[in-house]
Amino acid sequence: MHGLLSWILWMPVIGLVGVLLIPKGKDQIVRYFSLVNTIVTMVLSGILYMNFDNTISGIQPHLMERVPWIEQFNIFYYLGVDGLSLPMILLTSLLFFICILSSWTITKSVRAYFALFLMLQASVNGVFMSLDFFLFYVFWEVMLIPMFFLIGIWGGENKEYAAVKFFLYTFFGSILMLVGMVALYYVTSDPTTGLGSFDLIGLKGGQFRHLTVPIFGYELPFNHLFFIFMFIGFAIKVPVFPFHTWLPHAHVQAPTAVSVILAGVLLKMGTYGFLRISFPIFPESTVYFATAIAVLGLINVIYGALCAMAQNDMKKLIAYSSVSHMGFVMLGMSAMTIQGMNGAVLQMFNHGTSTAMMFLLVGILYERSHHRWIVRPDGTKGFGGLYTQLPKYTVVFIIAMFASMGLPGLSGFISEALIFIGMYKVYTTITVLAVIGLLIGAAYLLWMFKRMFYGEVIDSVKGYTDMNGREIFYMLPLCVAVILFGIYPTPVLDMMKASVGDLVRLLGSF
Amino acid sequence: MDYTITSIAPIILLPFFAFVIGAFVVSKSQKLAVGISTAAIIGSFLFSLRVFFDFVFGKYATNYYIHKYFTWFDISSETQEFVVNMGIYFDNMSAVMMLMVTGVGSLIHVFSIFYMKEDKRVGHFFVYMSLFISAMIGLVLSDNLFSLFVFWEIMGFCSYSLIGFYVKAEGAGVASLKAFMTTRMGDVFFLLGILSIWTTIGSVTYVDIYKAIHLGEFNGITALGMPLVTFAGLAIFMGTVGKSAQFPLQVWLPDAMWGPTPCSALIHAATMVSAGVYLSLRIYPLLDAGGLTTIVAYVGAITAFGAATMALVQTDIKAVMAYSTISQLGYMVLGIGVGAWNAAFMHLIAHAIFKAALFLSCGSIIHELHDHHTHSHVQEMTRMGGLRKKMPITFMVMLFCTFAISGVPFFSGFVSKDRILGDALLRATESGTFIPVAILGFSAAFLTAFYMFRMMFLTFFGEPKDKDLYHHTHQEHLSITRNVPLIILATFTLGIFFSGSLTGQGFVKVFPKDHGYEWFQTLIEKPDGKNYLEHKKQLFAFEDVKPELELRHGHYDPNHGMDEHQAHHSHAVHGWGAIMSIIIAFSGIFLSYSVYYKKRFSPDFFVNRVPGYYKALRNKYYFDYFYIDILIQKVLFGLNNLIAFFDMGIYDRYVVDGWEKVNKVCFKIAKRFDDSVIDLGVDFTGFTVKGGSSLLKVVQSGKVQLYFIIAIVVVAGYIATLLYGGI
Repeated sequence: MHGLLSWILWMPVIGLVGVLLIPKGKDQIVRYFSLVNTIVTMVLSGILYMNFDNTISGIQPHLMERVPWIEQFNIFYYLGVDGLSLPMILLTSLLFFICILSSWTITKSVRAYFALFLMLQASVNGVFMSLDFFLFYVFWEVMLIPMFFLIGIWGGENKEYAAVKFFLYTFFGSILMLVGMVALYYVTSDPTTGLGSFDLIGLKGGQFRHLTVPIFGYELPFNHLFFIFMFIGFAIKVPVFPFHTWLPHAHVQAPTAVSVILAGVLLKMGTYGFLRISFPIFPESTVYFATAIAVLGLINVIYGALCAMAQNDMKKLIAYSSVSHMGFVMLGMSAMTIQGMNGAVLQMFNHGTSTAMMFLLVGILYERSHHRWIVRPDGTKGFGGLYTQLPKYTVVFIIAMFASMGLPGLSGFISEALIFIGMYKVYTTITVLAVIGLLIGAAYLLWMFKRMFYGEVIDSVKGYTDMNGREIFYMLPLCVAVILFGIYPTPVLDMMKASVGDLVRLLGSF
Repeated sequence: MDYTITSIAPIILLPFFAFVIGAFVVSKSQKLAVGISTAAIIGSFLFSLRVFFDFVFGKYATNYYIHKYFTWFDISSETQEFVVNMGIYFDNMSAVMMLMVTGVGSLIHVFSIFYMKEDKRVGHFFVYMSLFISAMIGLVLSDNLFSLFVFWEIMGFCSYSLIGFYVKAEGAGVASLKAFMTTRMGDVFFLLGILSIWTTIGSVTYVDIYKAIHLGEFNGITALGMPLVTFAGLAIFMGTVGKSAQFPLQVWLPDAMWGPTPCSALIHAATMVSAGVYLSLRIYPLLDAGGLTTIVAYVGAITAFGAATMALVQTDIKAVMAYSTISQLGYMVLGIGVGAWNAAFMHLIAHAIFKAALFLSCGSIIHELHDHHTHSHVQEMTRMGGLRKKMPITFMVMLFCTFAISGVPFFSGFVSKDRILGDALLRATESGTFIPVAILGFSAAFLTAFYMFRMMFLTFFGEPKDKDLYHHTHQEHLSITRNVPLIILATFTLGIFFSGSLTGQGFVKVFPKDHGYEWFQTLIEKPDGKNYLEHKKQLFAFEDVKPELELRHGHYDPNHGMDEHQAHHSHAVHGWGAIMSIIIAFSGIFLSYSVYYKKRFSPDFFVNRVPGYYKALRNKYYFDYFYIDILIQKVLFGLNNLIAFFDMGIYDRYVVDGWEKVNKVCFKIAKRFDDSVIDLGVDFTGFTVKGGSSLLKVVQSGKVQLYFIIAIVVVAGYIATLLYGGI
């Protein structure tokens, strides 16, 4: 099956070219073309899943692709999947398909929108598949371009600010990551040929723990220094407190589909970066900084939840809830036990589905109301009586909301429970504090629900129509996913557990 | 045939499938959903009945249990193993509990057909009820605390949805939120308790916990500065406190009355709230080993007494029921605390039956009292009175249940409550710490008799207080859906179903105490780790059925393990306890009779004596004020706003965006970006078809890449120099 990964990776690019070839003005064709393109990618991802061997803990050898790209610098076009990346690739394929459907109502420069959207998909897939650091970095950076335009052109009233902020923030992180990458290349360079290594698999295993870096006369430990550099690079993406303030701006301004991708997939690139790059390359630094990561995770959980509770803008509330939920991922990873780590990867997946549902629901409502105020700035109700007015919408909202707060039987619970089981023994006090996050996490969502859905139908809500067929159609797979993986998480856990076990073992040996 | 998972599985699967099917058909046909749900629960009841008779009175008897489990999910890797199991643990206690849940559940479903028939969303109501019933059955079947927690939370969700069932009422929204959050408060502690045990002994099944306690595997292990058993016991008990509305988390239950009355009967009286007590009964060895019994007893006593005092001043008939439920749950918890394990469980079952009947009777009254001016149903007792003649059947049912709850001899409540109080008295004679527990327990018994008869007199006796309302009320005729469930429930308030000695132990023995008469005490055993030890081998071999042990025929001996002197003492104390119970119950009834029926003196007589206390009672001892107005509105919201302001107003604005000047520069760059890049971005997609201009645009759009390349080269060069240039 060599070449399958490339097909998945480049399929959106083929779509992009196709979209650009369609003459101007044929918007409906553009939409259907993009939809078909994402369906093809989804089918290919399904084939990838079929060909995935759960028992292999490392990179799947039969799916790997490795071709020299820039030989002067030892850079390869090196793709591969393992249990950490496969759930993310599947999630990406699913969410992009759904987002194309939810973008049906976009009317401004349709061609450009869909082209950029497909470009985004290709770059995200590239990040999850690359095993060459340089290639990873290229995709990581390329991803910024479509995001910048998508927010900057199709965004809300303050879109330029949000787009620039998003761009600069992430770019700052990227530069730190770049520094780390170059440093790794230099320390691995062969004295005779002068060639270093960008091979993420080859760099694994804590080879750099005795090196030091002379900076202004001080000998700093190489591993800790560059661990921090890369940590910040990824942390901005997660986002980890105190690098999180781009997120509420970006979310509020971005169009629905972009918010979904942002929260559903892009945030996971940060945590994926930890698991793929920071942790395996600098395991000893990971162990050294584990408590600090746990504390940051705890701050994320509590701080995000407290911020969320104060929001009157629905989308901002959910944006902050993402900060809180990604904190759980950080906590699970920092425990470095199989329960915690599996919980973290599962939470990445589950948060992807549940938060995507939340953002889609906000988008659906926004298309009817053209505002997102739970309580308007003047203190009057933004919504009221939606339960009566929009019964189908309410059912989906309840599923999404309870999945997001971790009700047993829905997907969020399993991952949060695993994270807590994994953490308890390692950080008892932090665990005790983190459960407060569960409490506030339920509070802000239910409180929002109460304010919007209960009561008599207010006048402004009276004209709203319930979800239409298209909307129900694209919500359905997510509903199935959150319920199915809440009752039967085995398919997702089976994918990841061998790779996660491998990573935990590596970290455990330091 | 032996009992295996296949004999028990239908009990849970029927309501669960009813939920799944119901959820799909409900939008098409409300009636179909109602039918499926009701049929499923009745089917489930029949299975439970069979299992009950085979287990409790059949060939299996005392020590028999089933323990079968399967892997829910498994994240084991080569080096480490971790499997999460779900399983069934079924013994006599489960059989009794199961019969109660499905039996009371069936009757409530039937009653709901009458009560909810005019509601447009009746099907949704039944769908939630089916989900609830399956979760409750799942909880009873669970073999470990984690799967119990799963079902526990699902029940919480159903409770949330049903309290908020009348979605047009703002109050229902607030009440459901309050109920969910308050119980979740207890639940997060519960989760911590589960984690602490799980990470210590690697399992959370009851059997493993009992064994670990017996073998001392927890010895010397601490968590947050206290012994692990104490921490775990306390944390798990917090789950009980939340779910069973114990002090100080009792605040949610009165508000839960916003839900439809049948749901109050099922969830907030009979089953879900008693699930908390069930949990404490199951983990009793943990509470005992952790030295928590005193705390448990005090929590129960304070709850029982405090809720009873609040019930005195309620005018809403459902509110009286709500406080009385809290109070009775307090008795159960008190019972666990003083070691009256069997009696507490008996009270759980007895209470489930009479309180369900009381709630359904309330439903029967409320449904009929329809105010034609406001088009609403009347719940205020100040507008009732004299209903005895209009609703004779409901009246008789309610009278039976009121006798039971007040502790009148020959009724179930007497049998169980008397034993709890007898044990409280016994503990009080042994240790001074339990004296307040006993005093509070007996006082609450007095108050219970008083306020229950107050409710009876206000509702059914005297002159109708609202003539108009009274005349519009229909005369009650026997109807299957409305009255039959009530009559069946009322029948089971008789003490004879619970104990052959009718009046409790040690006093007036009508029947000889024998196996079968004292079945509740003989056949249901307090969990003890040593009972499970000898079967270690089978359990580890994953045997699903434990072979029969010695069948304990013959006498129930409440004084088992005591010497002659102690036994004599215990006997005497229980005898006095029973006499006191009877005197107290009747004096409560008499006082109520004098005030509310004979009207010898007005209730204002009491109110005027202690106006401040009366005000405190009306305000629920200011708990709501303290929790909502101060803790939530002031402290939590204050903190939220402060942090949110810090986040966006200070941190993001000044630290992230830099000071204003840099901010402006940023915007200038942004503007330039906007003019040069974004606008081009909009157009650049056209380049493939517009041959001529394409070259220019490729170059221009290449600018973005150029930026990147320059940035990368510059930074890389800088770093390289920094690191290896020897600077």
